Amino acid sequence: MDGFSIRTEGLKKDFGPVRALKGVSFDLSAGLLHGLIGSDGAGKTTTMRLLAGLLRPTEGSIVYSGAGGPVSFTEVRRGLAYMPQQPSLYPDLSVEEHLEFFRELYRLEPEDYARRSRELLDITRLEQFRGRRAGLLSGGMYKKLGLICALLRSPSVLLLDEPTNGVDPISRREFWGLLYGLAAGKILILVSTSYMDEAERCARVHLLESGRLLASGEPRSLLKAAGAASFEDIFIKKAVV
Amino acid sequence: MTSFSPHRAFAVARKEVMHILRDPFTLALALGLPVMLVTFFGYAIDFEVKDIRLAVYDRDGGPAARRLKEIFSASGYFRPVEPEAAAGPIGMLDSGRASAALFLEPGFSRTIKGGGEAPAQFVLDGSDNSKAAAVAGYLPGIAGAARLRLSGPGGGEPFYAETRFLYNHELNSRWFTVPGLSAIIIGLLAILLTALTVAREWENGSMELLLSTPVRPLEIMAGKLVPYGVLVLAGVVFVYLSSRLVFGVPFEGGHLLYLAACVLFITAALSQGLLISVLARQQQVAMQFALITGLLPSMLLSGFIFPVESMPRFFRALTMLLAPRWFMAAVRGITLKGADLSELSEPFLALGLLAAGMLALALKKFKTDLEP
Repeated sequence: MDGFSIRTEGLKKDFGPVRALKGVSFDLSAGLLHGLIGSDGAGKTTTMRLLAGLLRPTEGSIVYSGAGGPVSFTEVRRGLAYMPQQPSLYPDLSVEEHLEFFRELYRLEPEDYARRSRELLDITRLEQFRGRRAGLLSGGMYKKLGLICALLRSPSVLLLDEPTNGVDPISRREFWGLLYGLAAGKILILVSTSYMDEAERCARVHLLESGRLLASGEPRSLLKAAGAASFEDIFIKKAVV
Repeated sequence: MTSFSPHRAFAVARKEVMHILRDPFTLALALGLPVMLVTFFGYAIDFEVKDIRLAVYDRDGGPAARRLKEIFSASGYFRPVEPEAAAGPIGMLDSGRASAALFLEPGFSRTIKGGGEAPAQFVLDGSDNSKAAAVAGYLPGIAGAARLRLSGPGGGEPFYAETRFLYNHELNSRWFTVPGLSAIIIGLLAILLTALTVAREWENGSMELLLSTPVRPLEIMAGKLVPYGVLVLAGVVFVYLSSRLVFGVPFEGGHLLYLAACVLFITAALSQGLLISVLARQQQVAMQFALITGLLPSMLLSGFIFPVESMPRFFRALTMLLAPRWFMAAVRGITLKGADLSELSEPFLALGLLAAGMLALALKKFKTDLEP
């Protein structure tokens, strides 16, 4: 399957009197690991939810394109996987029961499911915890299970909202390792994070601050252009690159 | 252990006041609910049974029989109606289209005119215990009025009425309360179980994940209704067994018909719970809503305690929208009267419409995104 690309144009989102997004425009292309970087309240989750079709923009547009030009969200949705920021798994269901549940939601063929779940459990090293309930998993394992559920159907668009939030440094490193492996395919991956050091792990970053896009581009180029040593410096200075 | 500090207690109280003031639902519940319930049920609840449909089987047709009907009508408690040709007076009692029947045999007027005491038979629907007892209590007053009008002052008794309670000859209150209670318990259980289920998904965040998958609202609804439906049906089996084995409630009708009534009622109640859950999004609010909308109307407006016939017109119309009212009628009809589907077509049709309507409404209100 050819990958999708996404372009947002002047994206604004209001919640009552509060404007969470103030005209955000950026491009996301397949085969690259994109990072949506920003501090708390920057508008990352709102952007993710808009891209996942869970919110409607107040103004602006989101254009999804395939190899042959623009496509509808319905078409993108068939291959879209989303992992919310907040805990969204069922604490009383085991790892295996989660996989079975999502297999049925995605209507995967038994052979595809068997192969895919084996692969994913192997990569995430959750195989030995198949029978453990999600509520009893550690923070890192819980996030990995969320990622497995999202990846079970080999998505073409993967939106991960702060997947490493609250996860220990070793698990974070493992998590990013998994994402690098995925980005090698034709998959569009957008990962939001408030950990500034994670920005440098992405191929492209989009810096959000108070609902505005500060900058988009390759991490090193952005740092160089801003004359900053780190992304933290950029946010502290609120320098527009 | 430190001693009690009024200062700390005050701090907790102040924090609680802030919670209450910032939670409009709790505030509305605390201030508005008592006023609403007292006003609402104060109007709706009337211990006096009025407008009792009395099927008069007048085989006499004479002046005394006509006058006796006028006396029943003038009492304000009874509404004499002609028996339906096909069903007859007992058929009308079977289907619930009449609550009492009066049988007057040929020669009734002639006997009274001749100064004799004419026989009459008064048959009451004993499946509604409280109503039957109240109606029976009106008969001495009717007899007194009849004495004055038919025999004149100082005259003797113009007729003697044999009173019979149909379906529940001894007015065994358990035969009446147990099927009624089962309707309330089953309904409340069904509403409570589903009221929490969608709200729980919203509250623990799993709805956000679920909505991002290809699953459709109808699939979520059906997936939630069926297991809880089976669970509540299992509850029905226990209610049935305890009614029969512990309380000795008779079962005169068909079990399949009873099952069909249960399925319709449970579907309506589960859908009501789902609707609450879809609208509330919080388990605590959903629970409060479920109790208010599930328990109170079914206790007070279903005919379980207070006869529907004695309610003001507005509340009588309102009870039409309550599934427990129709289920109560269907269950009492099936268990105590042995009524069949043709006699229970009205409650079955109402239950079917309410179940479909509630389900459609829940589906319409189901949100497929996270918009507030």
